[in-house]
Amino acid sequence: MPFAELDSAGIARSLAQIADHPADLADAFFERTEEIELPDGEGSPGLRVWRETGLAIRLLREGRTWLAGRDRISADVYHDAWRRVARAMPRTQYPQPSLKHESWGEPPRAPELLELPSNVRRALRSHCVTAPLELTVRRHRRWTRVIGTRLASGTERENFYSVRAELPTARYGCLLSELGTDTADELARRLVKLHRAHDAPPPSAWCGVSILGASATAVLLHEAVAHALEADTLAFGGHPDAAIGVRMGSELLDVFDDPTSAPDTVRRAADDEGFPVVRRCLLRSGVVQQPLCDTAWASRGEMLTAGAGRRGNRHLPPVPRSSHLELVAGELSWQDLLAEADGGLYLPEAERGSLDPLTGEFTLRFPFGRRIENQAPGPPVGPCTLKGRVSDLLDKVTGVGRKVRSAGAGWCAKDGVKLPVWATCPALRLEGVEIVP
Amino acid sequence: MTVDERLFEVLEALREEGWPEVEVFHKRGRSRTMRTTAYGETTSLRQEEGWAVRAGDSRRSFFYAASGPPRPDAGWPEADGQGLRLPSARPVPSWTAPSSLDAPLIGEVEARGFLEGLARALDQEVPGSRLLAAHLDDGSSESQLLSSRDVAATVRQRVASLHLDAVGPGEGQRGVSLDVAQREVRRFSPTALASRLADLLLVSGKGIARVRDRGEFLLAPTVAAGLLAALSDLWVGPEAESRLAALVDRGGRFGSPALTLIDDGRLPGGVLAAPHDGEGQPTREVVLVEEGTFRQPLVAWWQTRSPKLASACSRRPGWRDLPRPGPTHLYLRPDPSLRVASLLENLGRGYYLIGLAGAPRIEPGYGRFAAPVDGFAIAGGRPTGPVTGTWLVGSVSALFKGIVAVARDLTFSTVGAGLVGSPTLLVKGLELRQQP
Repeated sequence: MPFAELDSAGIARSLAQIADHPADLADAFFERTEEIELPDGEGSPGLRVWRETGLAIRLLREGRTWLAGRDRISADVYHDAWRRVARAMPRTQYPQPSLKHESWGEPPRAPELLELPSNVRRALRSHCVTAPLELTVRRHRRWTRVIGTRLASGTERENFYSVRAELPTARYGCLLSELGTDTADELARRLVKLHRAHDAPPPSAWCGVSILGASATAVLLHEAVAHALEADTLAFGGHPDAAIGVRMGSELLDVFDDPTSAPDTVRRAADDEGFPVVRRCLLRSGVVQQPLCDTAWASRGEMLTAGAGRRGNRHLPPVPRSSHLELVAGELSWQDLLAEADGGLYLPEAERGSLDPLTGEFTLRFPFGRRIENQAPGPPVGPCTLKGRVSDLLDKVTGVGRKVRSAGAGWCAKDGVKLPVWATCPALRLEGVEIVP
Repeated sequence: MTVDERLFEVLEALREEGWPEVEVFHKRGRSRTMRTTAYGETTSLRQEEGWAVRAGDSRRSFFYAASGPPRPDAGWPEADGQGLRLPSARPVPSWTAPSSLDAPLIGEVEARGFLEGLARALDQEVPGSRLLAAHLDDGSSESQLLSSRDVAATVRQRVASLHLDAVGPGEGQRGVSLDVAQREVRRFSPTALASRLADLLLVSGKGIARVRDRGEFLLAPTVAAGLLAALSDLWVGPEAESRLAALVDRGGRFGSPALTLIDDGRLPGGVLAAPHDGEGQPTREVVLVEEGTFRQPLVAWWQTRSPKLASACSRRPGWRDLPRPGPTHLYLRPDPSLRVASLLENLGRGYYLIGLAGAPRIEPGYGRFAAPVDGFAIAGGRPTGPVTGTWLVGSVSALFKGIVAVARDLTFSTVGAGLVGSPTLLVKGLELRQQP
């Protein structure tokens, strides 16, 4: 663990000198990241590596934040950042804390990346798809530690992979918590589905039963529940406290954000402010329980709880974001979900979604779908979009599947802050939502 | 040890390891960012520093980038994939760095005062309106490049950017946004920015959608530059000629005689003006389309065998980025004699489109485009009502061939790592529709 030997007591003492108002919060954020990418076959140069180490000092006082970020970790750099953030210099200063940390040891290696492109090509051939494949795979590793005047977290570690794959007729991207033996087969299977639906005509405008697969449900929840319940989004319409107790959707919806139950390699014990994460109930029976908050927002409301502060990197201030969404399983089997749904649409995956925080208007884009016939997914349909207002949309959930799975992991890029997000969901049945080509 | 010495040390270390093609890049910068919302204010002071190496031979290569100062003892990854070829040094025409590069960054109090002044000016323009969020970034940077092919380049830059989100007094009104960039914050005019936001708020609050209409269209620089930006791939790369072939008429023309399109990495006064591109090649003015006739594509040195065609257009925004060809300052040449007001006065029946409500959509193959627009209906040179929720649609070919006149108000918009600029354009042959 690169930050295990930091002098946390010395750092906390020095931060206490700049947090000299009673309600001040000051913290030091230490970050190390490594990304290794194998570009597509035509990519030059070959293996690509990014390694970063740095720190940030932050002072939060009465709604104002001062942040100084640096791309190194040393006592001098720490002191300079500390000085920039301090509102008044203390008369006497404690000795500079020790910032001893592990240096990068071994040269960067990621042998597991090298086989993936050829394995996916082989798997595609087994599905009789021989079109040229461009595949870029990247391993992401990140270690962070936060030491503040009140809290000092342990070192948090994340390790995951991102994949972008493209055929002339299909494009697919995803995050994976690990590269397993079946990863290539799974990627190929998804590409083949997109490839085969490529020429399918988009459905005509539809307002009936739509069944969202687990992946599409995860994107829906991310956009329509998680983003809608971030304190900074809620603030567009009033005080985030006011959202608590408001009915937001069907009583079938129980939604949590739980970083402690995320896949092993991205599981968190503390957020990017060093605050212990909790299993946060966002919706219980469709009613808002607890918005997503970081420390700054939690300090503005008695009913708000911190623990969902995330930083894109050391140079950016924390923002309230979800990490790992869970929709509690319902009681419906796959057959129950599809019952009396003939003529409707089965939408297994969503490629992107968006929420307008001012109007509550929401869109979810699907790359393809399937028309439901004889209570089973039938012929494919082309790209289509689900549109509506968040409150109307979530009210139209009429069934939740009983089989949950990890699904819909992807990048969230709200306000230019790019963060990985994860989800565990079942399928969802909606009735009366508008699907347009 | 100076940065130059460190770069040389890394270069030598890799040469000794037997790599014939080596390039070392270093960039450091400082910036002050102020972000304000109704609920608080964040001031960030960043000091960023990082470096990157590209090394390889004819069969394999690697890229290694790290934060902090360059180190010759960094553990290099195993080379893999494609071979690497780097450009040779070329003579650089004389270059005088703008004096504003040395101006100090904006202070915290000054930045707060600027944003508060802007909020006041907006409230005066549209009483009851609110600046929901403002993001001001003022930064300077210096980058150095050294290669085994004798390229040695230094580039200094200074950029201030501003993003504004505002909402009008109406219930449930759509918010509007504005992005602008200058070399220094003091070149932003709070009153001019407030006036632009006020126009957008007026249109978004009171505008009505047009089901379908034709006429003459006056495209404000933001709209025209947004369309140019969405189409910027059209001119980039060796395939540009074949892409454009479908848009050229029998007379060999791609656009109207009023259309002259230029990319210039050393544009005098340009915010990103620099003597070298991201691979150390000397920048220059490249005329892509001259009076409607296609002249050449925008190509990096490795995309063409002819040194005359190489456009020095490799962009490298930071040390984490690999150089990629793309527009530097891509702009449509203005007509210095033509005022926007005179174009507007002579507009018999049509629309003055002042903003984009979203990203334009371009059909694959550059057949048709559709852009969500906001603006005013015009009759007899006077506005008759605001228009919103409407799409400007047409063929890409009609857009360029339909340019009747070009005003003098060249304005740039930030697009990715480059800038795309246009003056106000008078265009015929397009259509407004309620759906794309």
